[in-house]
Amino acid sequence: MNTGRLPTTIPEYLEHLRRSLAGADPALVQDALYDAEEYLRSELAENPGRSEAEVIAAVASSYGAPDEVADIYRDTEVTVQTALRPPSPPSRKSALGRFFGVFADPRAYASLFYMLLSLATGIFYFTWVVAGFSTSLGLSVTIVGIPLLILFFGSVRVLSLVEGRIVEVMLGERMPRRPLYTVRGRSIWQRIGDMFTDPRSWTAMLYMLLMLPLGIFYFTLAVTLLVTSIAFVATPILVWTGIADVDVHLNGWQLLNFDGSVVGTSLPAWGLPFALVCGIVLLFATMHIARGVGHLHGLFAKHLLVKTAQYS
Amino acid sequence: MGDGEDQGDSQLRKFQKELSAGTVSLALLAVLAASGEPMYGYQIAKTLERFGEGVLSGKQSALYPVLRNLQAAGLLDSFVEPSDAGPPRRYYRITAAGRDTLHAWAAAWRATRDSVDSVLEGTRE
Repeated sequence: MNTGRLPTTIPEYLEHLRRSLAGADPALVQDALYDAEEYLRSELAENPGRSEAEVIAAVASSYGAPDEVADIYRDTEVTVQTALRPPSPPSRKSALGRFFGVFADPRAYASLFYMLLSLATGIFYFTWVVAGFSTSLGLSVTIVGIPLLILFFGSVRVLSLVEGRIVEVMLGERMPRRPLYTVRGRSIWQRIGDMFTDPRSWTAMLYMLLMLPLGIFYFTLAVTLLVTSIAFVATPILVWTGIADVDVHLNGWQLLNFDGSVVGTSLPAWGLPFALVCGIVLLFATMHIARGVGHLHGLFAKHLLVKTAQYS
Repeated sequence: MGDGEDQGDSQLRKFQKELSAGTVSLALLAVLAASGEPMYGYQIAKTLERFGEGVLSGKQSALYPVLRNLQAAGLLDSFVEPSDAGPPRRYYRITAAGRDTLHAWAAAWRATRDSVDSVLEGTRE
């Protein structure tokens, strides 16, 4: 039961617990450490007369020794976690399986959709920040501008929370579920002041400005890749079903050309199988790119929208 | 010591663990429903400790994952506030759905307790 001596300080206890939980889900480890620290510090605050070592010795019987706590967390939390989590895509061993397996990954579709959506949200965020900021700042020389500026800053926080929800649902990056700005015992005016001095307000605005160029880039990339790969796949199929003709040169070289009733491709007949293979490979590569972009954007959003020190 | 004693002990622990699996959620909901204001993990643990003995006197670290599960199920609501004594505290408070669940669970509990009691009546010497 007893592995090593009992810890005598809170950091030691937490370190011991961390070691006992080695190999567990990082989120579970974080939760367990957080809970333990809360309990230990509260216990210490409740018993001002006793030393840290005494408190920890007492806690070992009420809260549990690090090893016991680790077992309890493994038992209770792991079962629930696995029950709540969506089924992970089946892991494929071969390189070929991994490459084509992306088609069964919902995350790739969601990321692709996010890339298309980001043009709309990007335009909206950009317009909102530019118009809101300049209007309220310009009007703050008059009395009307001040409440407008406060409202604008509040709206940026709400929008950043909304964007966080979109990012979590579509890109799978864990984002805060609720804003944690309220601090008990601060007046409404102090809270308004906090809003202006909190660096996250400003980074959220920066994020919203950057969403326009990023959104244009994501949208263009997604549409170009999708259309190109679909055209490559469609050309040979259209030829083989007799709808399109090969070796058609109307206005220079064209992969697929719709000109009135004539559907044609500049490809020679022997090139069609290659086009089909290229198209399919490109389509799967597009899914991979979308998933990669989604992952990177998730990290980027987390960095600019989430308060680093906050427990979400 | 005798093997029989050890075995009886571990049987008792196993039984307590199984009992507490269901009743701890009920007790947590009851504590939060009875308290007018949000409570954090340590407070809840200490409140339960006061009712002492039996199943609920198990290790208090077991309460935290259950609190999280209840919150995930929408029976509890939580928020985080800074504290002077350490990391920010996660406060829990019961939701309307939690109260409904508590009523249903409490009824189920009383029915179970009564029937178990009356069965046990027969075994009394």
